[in-house]
Amino acid sequence: MYQYNEFDRNFVNQRVAHYRDQTERYLQGDLSEDEFLQLRLRNGLYVQRLAPMLRVAIPYGTLSSQQLRALASISNDFDRGYGHLSTRQNMQFNWPALEDVPDILQALADVDMHAIQTSGSCIRNVTTDQFAGAAADEEIDPRPFCELLRQWSTSHPEFEWLPRKFKIAVTGATFDRAAIGVHDIGIRMSGSSEQPEDALADIYAGGGLGRTPVLGALIREQLPVKHLLTYTEAIMRVYNRYGRRDNKYKARIKILVRALTAEGFKAQVDEEWAAINHEQGAVPAAELSRLSAFFAPPSFAELDNASELLGTQRLENPAFNRWMKHNVHPHRVSGYSVVTLSTKATGMPPGDVSSDQMDAVASWANSYGFGEIRISHEQNFVLPHIPQDKLYALWQQADAIGLGHFNAGLISDMICCPGGDYCSLANAKSLPVAEAIQRRFADYDYQHDLGSLDLNISGCMNACGHHHVGHIGILGVDKKGQEFYQISLGGHAGHSGEAPRLGQIIGPSVAREEVCDVIEKVIQVYLGLRFEGETFLSCFNRIGILPFKESIYAKAA
Amino acid sequence: MPRLLKRIHGDWQICDVAETPWIAQDEWRAGSALQVSVDAEPSTEWLDASSIAIDFPAMTDGRGLSLAVLLRNRLGYRGELVARGSVHQDIVHFLARCGFDAIELPDEERLETALKWINPHTGYYQPSVISSESTLTSAN
Ligand code: SF4
Repeated sequence: MYQYNEFDRNFVNQRVAHYRDQTERYLQGDLSEDEFLQLRLRNGLYVQRLAPMLRVAIPYGTLSSQQLRALASISNDFDRGYGHLSTRQNMQFNWPALEDVPDILQALADVDMHAIQTSGSCIRNVTTDQFAGAAADEEIDPRPFCELLRQWSTSHPEFEWLPRKFKIAVTGATFDRAAIGVHDIGIRMSGSSEQPEDALADIYAGGGLGRTPVLGALIREQLPVKHLLTYTEAIMRVYNRYGRRDNKYKARIKILVRALTAEGFKAQVDEEWAAINHEQGAVPAAELSRLSAFFAPPSFAELDNASELLGTQRLENPAFNRWMKHNVHPHRVSGYSVVTLSTKATGMPPGDVSSDQMDAVASWANSYGFGEIRISHEQNFVLPHIPQDKLYALWQQADAIGLGHFNAGLISDMICCPGGDYCSLANAKSLPVAEAIQRRFADYDYQHDLGSLDLNISGCMNACGHHHVGHIGILGVDKKGQEFYQISLGGHAGHSGEAPRLGQIIGPSVAREEVCDVIEKVIQVYLGLRFEGETFLSCFNRIGILPFKESIYAKAA
Repeated sequence: MPRLLKRIHGDWQICDVAETPWIAQDEWRAGSALQVSVDAEPSTEWLDASSIAIDFPAMTDGRGLSLAVLLRNRLGYRGELVARGSVHQDIVHFLARCGFDAIELPDEERLETALKWINPHTGYYQPSVISSESTLTSAN
């Protein structure tokens, strides 16, 4: 993974110094609430319903064991001994004291981390495939390009004060686990990691969830990667100058793209790009190789696939067998696997992890997996490089501390935002809904029979829980001061190699007590009408929304 | 006499200056001191201005930053470029790197703080209007 040099270290330390001074001036009354708001947001600090919340950047979801240990100590020293994995591959602390934040940021800087630009109307943490560098279907490792964009967008002089927040996602695999279609900019890289300077980028712009969900439009095909920064600069400049600032609900780039049409937007960006001296601003091949070298594969041993051993272990232990089936994914190197450690134990808020769990994951990463950890947008930990003969030992240890659930990709592995329990923007709570659904579908055979099913919950239109792209999406809405839930079906984030698609709303929203029954009815329709082996999503594609509507809103006879 | 932050031979200083008779865009004439809004489209005519000010309607409005970059890099304007309006002392380093060489604050008492934080980092990742140094591009 990327290693900071003196330059990077100085940069984050100097940033902490500036923020410490700002905090002191705020506490002395020299900065108003509104002024400080803008400054603290750009250093990761929100003020939530109950307390401040600090969002730490985990650049493109990649973390070393040493860094995860540091996050564990921060949660013990400054918080309540746990952290929350967000849907944008970051970690959030829910209970820091505002006065302590400079010290927390210093503790982060000491392990080459920061919280820069994790909120506010600026370019946010770049996200990518959580299986990057390990996935069997990967064409090119997206992480060097993510790091390039991370550095370029950090304190960019021109683009720190945009109309609204700005999210970039990059993928380099066939299966788009980064959901690039629903980002302000989505980048699909092609080429080979051996020749990063020859890589090409397809650029999508104007995707996003929120209250006006849209899919990004392809505005540039096969852009030579050396131009990635100048082309992004052109997009950002057009957005910064012409994006709406009069209404925050109309300020995202997707609204601008829609207003200009994709062709019109592309023409404007191309014109801007033509006027930039893009040869002068090109990223030199040497820089691309330097960045790529950090992501060279670790020194894998020459191993054979441990099929026989695993076969015996799976036969002996049905729980391990289930976990193998759902949480262990193919690796590009023989004898290794990619492991998802699910945080979705029933009754625990999805994504919440204790400091003990963080320490444990760090030590497993060290003993089994080259010290590398990832955070997925599904709010789970991923250990990308585990030798297959160590899977059983890893699973036993994980299971002992609540990280050995077999549910990756199943209905109980839901994406869920913190909702009304923590977030001041929420219309409704999301955590109790998640828990109720997990309880309703707790039975393994039932879940397993349902197969791969993405259920996503957001507490409001801001869609942090990505409800639009859930196969089943649940959105908290406010109906005359009451918490209601709107349910949509058939969305997906583009995982299956197709372009992502937004779910369709099935009908009037329902009260919290009814949510589980509605989900159960949806499931029954699927079970009743599916063909042998048909997933929920393919079944939905075939039968459409009508049978679901009819079942849910059928008038009592 | 207004006080502001000025970059003189590469060094930022707090200076007292004479009041500038700013005129608005619709009264433009060559040789005048022109004040434009952040949504103005830059015009080559402005190369003849004695000074250009960009008026920031809010601390959070980044349009003035892009406009400054266009004036400097696209139009090649070399004259004085002043940031006015709702300019905040903690974001002056962005202004400086986008090519402003004079900064007025709504509250002159904050000029000292602005000066202290005019350059919070010893180096930056990107090239900028005032420095071609960058770890990422071949501009240098
Ligand atoms: S979706 Fe709404 S309720 Fe949930 S975290 Fe985002 S802003 Fe808060």
